[in-house]
Amino acid sequence: MLLEVDGVVRTFGAVRAVDGATLSVEDHSITGLIGPNGAGKSTLFATIAGSLRPDSGRIVFAGRRIDRRPAHRVASLGVVRTYQAARVLTRMSVLDNLLVATTHHPGERLTTLATRPRAARAHEERTRARAHEHLALVGLDGHAGAYAGTLSGGQRKLLDLARVLMLEPSLVLLDEPMAGVAPALRVELLDHILALRRDRGITFLIVEHDLDFVMRAADSVVVMNEGRVLTAGTPDEVRTNEDVVDAYLGKAH
Amino acid sequence: MNVLASGGFWAFVGVVAGIYTILALGLQVQFGFAGLLNFGQVGFMAIGAYTMAILVVKEGWSTWLAAPLGIAAAATGGLLVGLPALRLRADYFAIVTIAFSEIVRYVATNETALTGGSQGTIALGPIGTATQYNGQWSRLQTHVQHSLGFSSSDATMLVIVWAVAVVLLTVTWLVLRTPWGRVLRAIRDDEDAAESLGKNVFAYKLQALALGAALAGVAGLFYAWEFSFFSPDDFQPLLTFFAWMILLLGGLGRVWAVPVGALVFGFIFAGTRFLDFAPFTWFGSDERAYLRLIIIGLIIVLLVMLRPQGLLGNRREMVLE
Repeated sequence: MLLEVDGVVRTFGAVRAVDGATLSVEDHSITGLIGPNGAGKSTLFATIAGSLRPDSGRIVFAGRRIDRRPAHRVASLGVVRTYQAARVLTRMSVLDNLLVATTHHPGERLTTLATRPRAARAHEERTRARAHEHLALVGLDGHAGAYAGTLSGGQRKLLDLARVLMLEPSLVLLDEPMAGVAPALRVELLDHILALRRDRGITFLIVEHDLDFVMRAADSVVVMNEGRVLTAGTPDEVRTNEDVVDAYLGKAH
Repeated sequence: MNVLASGGFWAFVGVVAGIYTILALGLQVQFGFAGLLNFGQVGFMAIGAYTMAILVVKEGWSTWLAAPLGIAAAATGGLLVGLPALRLRADYFAIVTIAFSEIVRYVATNETALTGGSQGTIALGPIGTATQYNGQWSRLQTHVQHSLGFSSSDATMLVIVWAVAVVLLTVTWLVLRTPWGRVLRAIRDDEDAAESLGKNVFAYKLQALALGAALAGVAGLFYAWEFSFFSPDDFQPLLTFFAWMILLLGGLGRVWAVPVGALVFGFIFAGTRFLDFAPFTWFGSDERAYLRLIIIGLIIVLLVMLRPQGLLGNRREMVLE
């Protein structure tokens, strides 16, 4: 297992947003995380990514506990998240958005910048070359110099994806990748995700409300409701599970 | 002779604009690049000035050792504020910084034994002896004046302050163009996104705050040397807001907009000093002092309305979301 979430609880005051969630994500898989609004999916995402600390429970990634580490440490370990609305850096160029997405850059520390200027320059050149490759991959190479704030919603999702890939992650957490994306781009985005899993062996955990997309893309699906994991299984198992139907439609259907 | 036609007066205006440039450059690093809302910049300036003066007068240290320690003390002040306060949301952080600068001023006013209290640096030494902290500085200034062949010490100070300002502007400009500066801009745009890209946002903010505070410390040194005497009243919060006006006038996120803003602000501020013609002569001199502030305010409001991005800023950047 690449990721194991074990009995994670996270409360906000009296609200138990995540209430003992347990799930696991297999290496090289695409795992869908679904559930009605308020099920705790986004909170669970934030605790895995390190931006929220769980009150109790354990999160283990590639054999290491990550639930006590700050978000930037989790990210540099290879667990990278996206946000529902793509958080591109609007007042920076599309290229700069990608150049920021690098780890262990000697030019990003004042000390190594002063003591190892050559290493910093070499790293910068490599990063620049990789950034152009990734822009070409998502078809944004024509926009390299434009402010990211001028991109459309769909283009921002592609930029966000390219930026995540720059970090060479082993686990990518996608928060509603299809939300606000035009139908034509949805197909493109799905193709990218499938290709990345196939070619680079990247594991995906995806929160998504578009069930059609989840059932097509995911190898396994985890269903959350009221802060807990209701059930998990293959898309077919989940589709026919009565508890899931109850959770989505209410008990008295 | 009309004061507005005097070279010495305009040299003084230029010196003050140079000091404000250095002070506002610190804010540009903190807010224009890292997005930190620092309303207490004058506090770091006071720490720089007082540390230098106290070490020279009370401890008898060389100015050339005391001055860098003053800058270091200002930077340390930045770290001390930042360590607890940078974890707060931006608006709470702003409140903490303004409170910090007021605490510095009140401490300087009340710790008479250390700072000379409300009488200022004149009372740094034992009672009955007027003390000076700028002997070595004056000798350097005289030396520079002779080397340059200048007849006025104002002009010499003008050259020194702006030479230092240009060096600091250049170094800051170069540092902000590195990948380090790029991370600061990323944090300014969206700190959560920067954190999820593996950046230690807190550490970067702390560095930007300390760097900007160190620049305020440099401004404090020159302020002390220019006036050869200062008191806690010189470090009112108003000075911080002058630096903010310079920043807004020049434009955010552009290093070279700072001296432009400082010069424009300096000339507006100085040019409104002598409103001794009608209709201003209808008012008494007390009223005219307030009138001047009203006029400065109006000019700045007009400039910001006509060019909200500042003189050198980029308007497109302001509307991107």
